[in-house]
Amino acid sequence: MTKPAARRSLFEPPDIGQMATATKIVLYTVLLAWSAFVLFPIYWLIITSFKTIAAVNQGPYFLPWIDFEPSLHAWKELFVNDYRDTFRAYFNSIVISLSATALAILVGSMAAYALSRVKFAPNLITILYFVGLLALTGVAVGIYDVDWRVAAATAIALFFFLARAIGRLYQLRLQNGDILFWIISQRILAPIVVVVPIYMMFQSVRLLDTHLAIILTYTVINLPVVVWLMYDFFNSIPRDLEESAQLDGATMIGIFREIILPLSRAGLAATTLLVVILCWNEYLLALFLSTNKAQTMPILVAAMNAGERGILWWTMSAVIMIMIIPVVIMAILLQKYIAKGILVGAVKG
Amino acid sequence: MQTSRVSEWLDRHMGRLFLMPAVVLILVFSIFPLVASLIIAFARIRLTGGGFSVRFVGLRNFEKQFFGSEQFHLLGTFTDISVIGLLFGLLATLGLIWWMVLYVRAHFSVVGFLGRMITFLMALGLAWLFSATLLSGNLFGTLGTTLFYVFVGCGIQFLIGTALAYACSFQFRGTTSFRVIFFVPMMITPIGVGYIFRMMADTTKGPFSGVWQWVGLGEFAWASDPWAARIFIVVADSWQWIPFVFIMLLAAFESVPRDFTEAAELDGANAWQKFTEITWPHVLPVAATVMLIRVIEAFKIVDLPNIMTSGGPGIATESVSLQSYFAWRSLDLGQASAIAYVLLFVTVIICVSFFNLVVLARVRKAS
Amino acid sequence: MLSKNLKRMATTAVGAVMALTPAAILADGHYDGVVVNIMTRPGPVIAGRMVDRGKEFKAMTGAEIRVAEVPFAELFQKILTDWATGTRSIDVGVFASGWGVEYVSAGLVENLDPYIAKDSKIDLDDIAPFFRDFNQKVQGSTYFITLDGDFQMLYYRTDVLEEAGLQPPKTWEEYLDVASKVHGMDMNGDGEADYGSCIFKKRNAQSFFAVQSMAASRVQAMGTNEGIYFHPDSMKPKINNEAWIKAFEIYKATGEYGPPDELNHDIGDSRALAIGGRCALMIDWGDIGPLSIEEGSMINDKVGAVIMPGSKEVLDAATGKLVPCDSNRCPYAIDGINFAPFAAFGGWTGAISKASDAKVKQAAYDFLSYMNQAEQSNVDVTMGWTGYNPYRNSQLDSTAAWEEAGFSKAAAENYLGAIMESLNHPNMASDIRIPGAAQYTSVVLDREVARYLADEISVEQAVANIEEAWEEITEDFGRDEQAQIYALSLGITN
Repeated sequence: MTKPAARRSLFEPPDIGQMATATKIVLYTVLLAWSAFVLFPIYWLIITSFKTIAAVNQGPYFLPWIDFEPSLHAWKELFVNDYRDTFRAYFNSIVISLSATALAILVGSMAAYALSRVKFAPNLITILYFVGLLALTGVAVGIYDVDWRVAAATAIALFFFLARAIGRLYQLRLQNGDILFWIISQRILAPIVVVVPIYMMFQSVRLLDTHLAIILTYTVINLPVVVWLMYDFFNSIPRDLEESAQLDGATMIGIFREIILPLSRAGLAATTLLVVILCWNEYLLALFLSTNKAQTMPILVAAMNAGERGILWWTMSAVIMIMIIPVVIMAILLQKYIAKGILVGAVKG
Repeated sequence: MQTSRVSEWLDRHMGRLFLMPAVVLILVFSIFPLVASLIIAFARIRLTGGGFSVRFVGLRNFEKQFFGSEQFHLLGTFTDISVIGLLFGLLATLGLIWWMVLYVRAHFSVVGFLGRMITFLMALGLAWLFSATLLSGNLFGTLGTTLFYVFVGCGIQFLIGTALAYACSFQFRGTTSFRVIFFVPMMITPIGVGYIFRMMADTTKGPFSGVWQWVGLGEFAWASDPWAARIFIVVADSWQWIPFVFIMLLAAFESVPRDFTEAAELDGANAWQKFTEITWPHVLPVAATVMLIRVIEAFKIVDLPNIMTSGGPGIATESVSLQSYFAWRSLDLGQASAIAYVLLFVTVIICVSFFNLVVLARVRKAS
Repeated sequence: MLSKNLKRMATTAVGAVMALTPAAILADGHYDGVVVNIMTRPGPVIAGRMVDRGKEFKAMTGAEIRVAEVPFAELFQKILTDWATGTRSIDVGVFASGWGVEYVSAGLVENLDPYIAKDSKIDLDDIAPFFRDFNQKVQGSTYFITLDGDFQMLYYRTDVLEEAGLQPPKTWEEYLDVASKVHGMDMNGDGEADYGSCIFKKRNAQSFFAVQSMAASRVQAMGTNEGIYFHPDSMKPKINNEAWIKAFEIYKATGEYGPPDELNHDIGDSRALAIGGRCALMIDWGDIGPLSIEEGSMINDKVGAVIMPGSKEVLDAATGKLVPCDSNRCPYAIDGINFAPFAAFGGWTGAISKASDAKVKQAAYDFLSYMNQAEQSNVDVTMGWTGYNPYRNSQLDSTAAWEEAGFSKAAAENYLGAIMESLNHPNMASDIRIPGAAQYTSVVLDREVARYLADEISVEQAVANIEEAWEEITEDFGRDEQAQIYALSLGITN
């Protein structure tokens, strides 16, 4: 692959200069048509949140003040009558998304950095042995009701006792690429596969319906994304700086904090935005892990389908709108980084 | 002295310490539940006062999906195979065998062979599934529907996303606003997208009801027609995810070094040649990675069909994830896990094959 | 939000009632600091009224009532997992009594008999017999407090039928006939052709209730304890037979006189059409009555209700064939027509978790009893937005409350008459009330109905598939246990 052209700024689009007028017209038509396709549903969402029930039910009305008289009833419902539910869900969503993102970015970029700089060679057989023991312990505790302390102690003892011997027998070593792939492949898991055991796990430590449970779960499901994007990003950073710092006696933590992180601001910004969006919009896991106190915004959206009385389109539109606004603001703030961040990450992928 | 030894040890193992938190988190929240879920898939579980009671039933949950009363649901209905179906199946079989033969002749390694064998078997299975259900005029199950969402949906998203990204990579007035606008749908929660498109699709009160009446489809109900419903879900899914393809590929197009294209221009290449010979090869590795991400996510589709049609008409729009979710909702945890595992297997094999055979191959070729 | 006027009116009515009540049911403040967590579906329906009444209850007793809401589709498993795993974040679940049997059989629900014995206000005798003797009970003990009486009825447009010179249908054959005759008429004066029949047909919604309503009068004729699902002794499904096949066919046939996208309509969509004046016939729970008088309704005073249509032929369980009604087979038949109003869903009922603290349980019971008592519930059931439908005879005694709520006298009499007839019908059909209820009906039955409606399979395949799948579920839960619980749920005690 080619190295990024250093001479010009990374993000200056190729200047095609004199396009034929016909080409320009076609181009603008296509882009404007697509903008309409993207924006129209959002426009409809916005006007629906200002429609009365009658205006929604009696057929399509397009223009406020001309077709129908806008009304604030849905907004009033959300911010006056039910303000407690609304604000709680909003607050929960913010706390959960930001904490989970921060945690995922921290843990994920550390792992990505280690993978891009340090050579690992874990023994495959030892790992399989470890996982096998773990599974057996899980079965013993979960199903045959063995005391978990006994099971854990036995497992640990067995592991240390036999690990070396077994490891030496088979020298099948993994490489960094395999570890990376293993982490990334976690993203393939559909949440529905693991959600029941996760529920039971949090239940047994009494963490259901708490922010912590959802934060931890979101952190893990988004780790692969962070590792994937940040690994490529770190790889694209030239190593000379680190090497000279190392000569000056800097530790890995020091290098990571003072050289690498500042250099990867763009990549971090892009990844952060992506992970925030994923956390902010997640529904299925939030549904499982919250009953009451920790409910997030997507659940509030789903709750606007009041079953027998039909869907409360007006309030639902308002809820979706207040969900979009912070993300859009964040995207605009981070905009100048995003392009660069994704650029380096993706191109190197 | 003590402290220096500690710091020395720390220094030596710092790499591992950096990696550890991620590995531990994944082990606890992903591998452990995965194992637990597998155990559930071999059992019938009932919630009772003291927690839950487990009864192992061996492979019965899986058997039910593949051969038993749920076969029509997951795989589809098999009655008789049509001539076209038979032809397609045979052709696919021959093609796949030929592919294996080519590989064995060219360069053989045990791991490579085994890996390709898995891909081969999966492709063979899917090809016959396709010819025995859809091509023979039979109904296909949730697996077929999911594959439809994945391949058709991702295909559309790829084509449109790439085209838009290429168009926006030129410098002209307004590109920045287009970029921001095109990015917006990705920020909406999938549930919200489902409801928004239900409003869009309403043939009596929706914004396009006038259009429907005008083209004489006022009486046509998209939700009652299996293909119309499936296509509509793909449209909604594409609306949401084209922005993702767009933004990634836009970055890739813009990273194509200008001197390359300029040199080609000097050599007298026309626009099309410049695109196919300079730009596209440069962008291809990114495109492959982006599509891999999209395919992985697309296999999990659950919110959209759930909101837009609840899996109807009949089971026409139900995805495998949704099937599992419905089973879970009625507390049939064993079935839910078994179905989820089937999905996991199919996804892993398809994605890993795609990664190894397409992405890596392209990357190798490109470099 | 749904109707501000009604809500305002309701609060004043409540105020009046409270002012008239000389002593509040309990001494003030003796539940100070007690918090009762209730989980139910999202409001304002069902949940909204509990919030309002909860505030009154707190003022009277000091106990705080917190209502948590989860999407309807997740409610069943959410409460069961919470209670079974001992999470204990919910003290009271408000759900269908049919689901409750599973909770009771898992030993999670508090037996309410001792509480009722000490309660002088609840007046069980006033509750309609089906709800008192079947729906609230499991194995002879009361576990649930009814908040809402659910069964389906047939609603028709009085003006439309009059104009066409037709009588409200008494059998499903007549229903189709009436629907075909009025289909395409303009029923709300907007110049567009409207529909003969509106019956929700969406998958994973309420369509399985509709088909059971259509089947009930063909399957059950000997009274509630005959049951419509299984042979009680062998637990063999009573589904692969002519009666259910006929019900499936009728259900599909109603679609011909309905809106084109009815396959994607749930009850909310159907109701919106009905209230917009676009349907001549519809089946629904009790809600259409109060909804018809809300503001924005096009059918105020134009809608009548009758008992669910019946059938002149009834299933012969031994042969699986339909046989004509005679006095032996159909003891409750009127003019040779057997009626079996189906208690679809069984109504919203409150159940108390066994695991909660004693004081919380007592407070929870007192609150449920407060909701159920005639003084409160007789007001609540007249208001459409609460989602509560009548289940007490005193709620039907006088039309005064209903007229006050906005009904005309004739409409109120007609509506209450239909309810009275259904509610006290000795042949009322019970919804399925055994463990795995959700799997039997809302998964299997619902899916096969949906596939049949979408032309994926024939009706014979549909009932055969259901039979096979039901047998599997029965085997999973244990045939003997299921048979025993099924018999008990029908009040068979030998």
